[in-house]
Amino acid sequence: MRKKFKIYKPFINAGLQEATTYRANWIFFMLGNILGCFVSYFIWNAVFISSGGENLNGFTMPQMVVYIFLMFLTTSLISSGGTYDIGEEIRDGSIAMRMIKPISYNATFLFQEIGNKIMTICVLIIPMVIGVEICRTVFMGSVQFNIAGFLLYIVSCVFAYLINFFFNICFGFIAFIIKYLWGANMMKNCIVGFLSGSVIPLSFLPDILERIFLFLPFASLNYTPVMIYMGMYSGLELLFYMGLQLFWVMAFWGLSKLLWHIATKRLCVQGG
Amino acid sequence: MKTVKRMLRMHRIFVAQELKRMMEYKGDFIVGIIGFLLGQFFNLLFLWIIFRQIPSLMGWSLEQLVFIYGFSLIPKGLDHLLFDNLWSIGHFTVNKGDFDKYLTRPINPLFYVMVEKFQIDAFGELIMGIALICISLPSLVIEWSVLKIVLILVTIPFATLIYTGIKIATAAIAFWTKRSGNITYMFYMVNDFSKYPIDIYNNFVKIVITYIIPFAFTAFYPACYILTGENPLFNVGITVVISVFIMCIGIIIWNKGITAYESAGS
Repeated sequence: MRKKFKIYKPFINAGLQEATTYRANWIFFMLGNILGCFVSYFIWNAVFISSGGENLNGFTMPQMVVYIFLMFLTTSLISSGGTYDIGEEIRDGSIAMRMIKPISYNATFLFQEIGNKIMTICVLIIPMVIGVEICRTVFMGSVQFNIAGFLLYIVSCVFAYLINFFFNICFGFIAFIIKYLWGANMMKNCIVGFLSGSVIPLSFLPDILERIFLFLPFASLNYTPVMIYMGMYSGLELLFYMGLQLFWVMAFWGLSKLLWHIATKRLCVQGG
Repeated sequence: MKTVKRMLRMHRIFVAQELKRMMEYKGDFIVGIIGFLLGQFFNLLFLWIIFRQIPSLMGWSLEQLVFIYGFSLIPKGLDHLLFDNLWSIGHFTVNKGDFDKYLTRPINPLFYVMVEKFQIDAFGELIMGIALICISLPSLVIEWSVLKIVLILVTIPFATLIYTGIKIATAAIAFWTKRSGNITYMFYMVNDFSKYPIDIYNNFVKIVITYIIPFAFTAFYPACYILTGENPLFNVGITVVISVFIMCIGIIIWNKGITAYESAGS
């Protein structure tokens, strides 16, 4: 185990270095996304004013604000860029270089991304969690922070990240069919964004849709962790949704192995 | 006059070239368009779901919102169709030193960059924009006049140039910083504010999207004029003024930047 870790440690460093080199660019990207949160905030604000009600589908306005920012936070925390990287390597053939090395292809990606995430956590997640907690305390009039809930959220995020990671790797193999990765990736992001509740909480959807979406792997991505953080799930429900997450981790892990197996047989790299 | 003629001819050649490339990769063409259509579709679904909860959003009906949304896609789509290549300047062209290419050709570099690519993905936005306007029109009460139609036709190219100007200005930052793609991205996210009625924002946001990063003029104000017929001087007039102003700023920054450009090694 320790020997394994030693092999992959340089990849963590590489990821971290990559993240710090282009930090200015990254900060602007995040600022852009935060602006997107504010657009949602104002729309929901208007919705709550127009509806005249205190509670819409189980959400009050302060809860909605917390939901929007937690959603953003969780999405950045569990994001994974495997689709593009793997697809690009299949397309230009550099995947061949990976295959001749005595290390796991997926693991190198994973560790490189973990390096990248260290920066996200330090610069973005910690300040934002503190911000969200301050907001919650002010809104509700008392401290809402719950250490057990927070730890469950972290565990749930780890599951969510793994689902996303393996799902993206599976999706990356689409490069064998579609050459235009940017377009394919965009399509995927739209669908995942909606089905995972980042655009609108799933409880706003018609009942039957909500029930279907909750079982799909996308709700396990960011909806489950956010609901856990907000204390919307408890007892059996909590156990069920986290179990579902674990199930999807296994499912996509298996699928990625299978696709990798098929892909290496089909792969045809020119020249070199 | 001669240069304009030459430029138009060049533009035709570039477009033809791009269309040939597109025919080579037909699948990409469909994937790109579907991608953008889907993006808009989910945004609309969001609006529709919200309107299941409320009769109107601060006095705006669903049809009006759909109209504003549809209108916003037209200038955006046009800019995307014609001048999408500006994105790549900030993302990688300058960073990799590939910008040299543009400097060595006997044609204005900015013009070359702008027309080099013809981004057919944009049809996803344009089709959706036109469709939404058509869907919402029958249920809206709008007084039509010749003047109004003329004014609208004038506004659309100017609204498009607001996007282009901001893209030129932010792409040019890369000449100093090597990478600026995400600065452009940040400005584009501000643009999301302009797809909804400005009444829903607080004063700070209103001032920002009206006077500082004037995206409100790409969609809300012109659409508002169409819907209500009020204030043509402000809704249309200022759109034209601001658009020219932004383009000028963009070109000034670009020209300054190009002198600061230093190619990457090797």
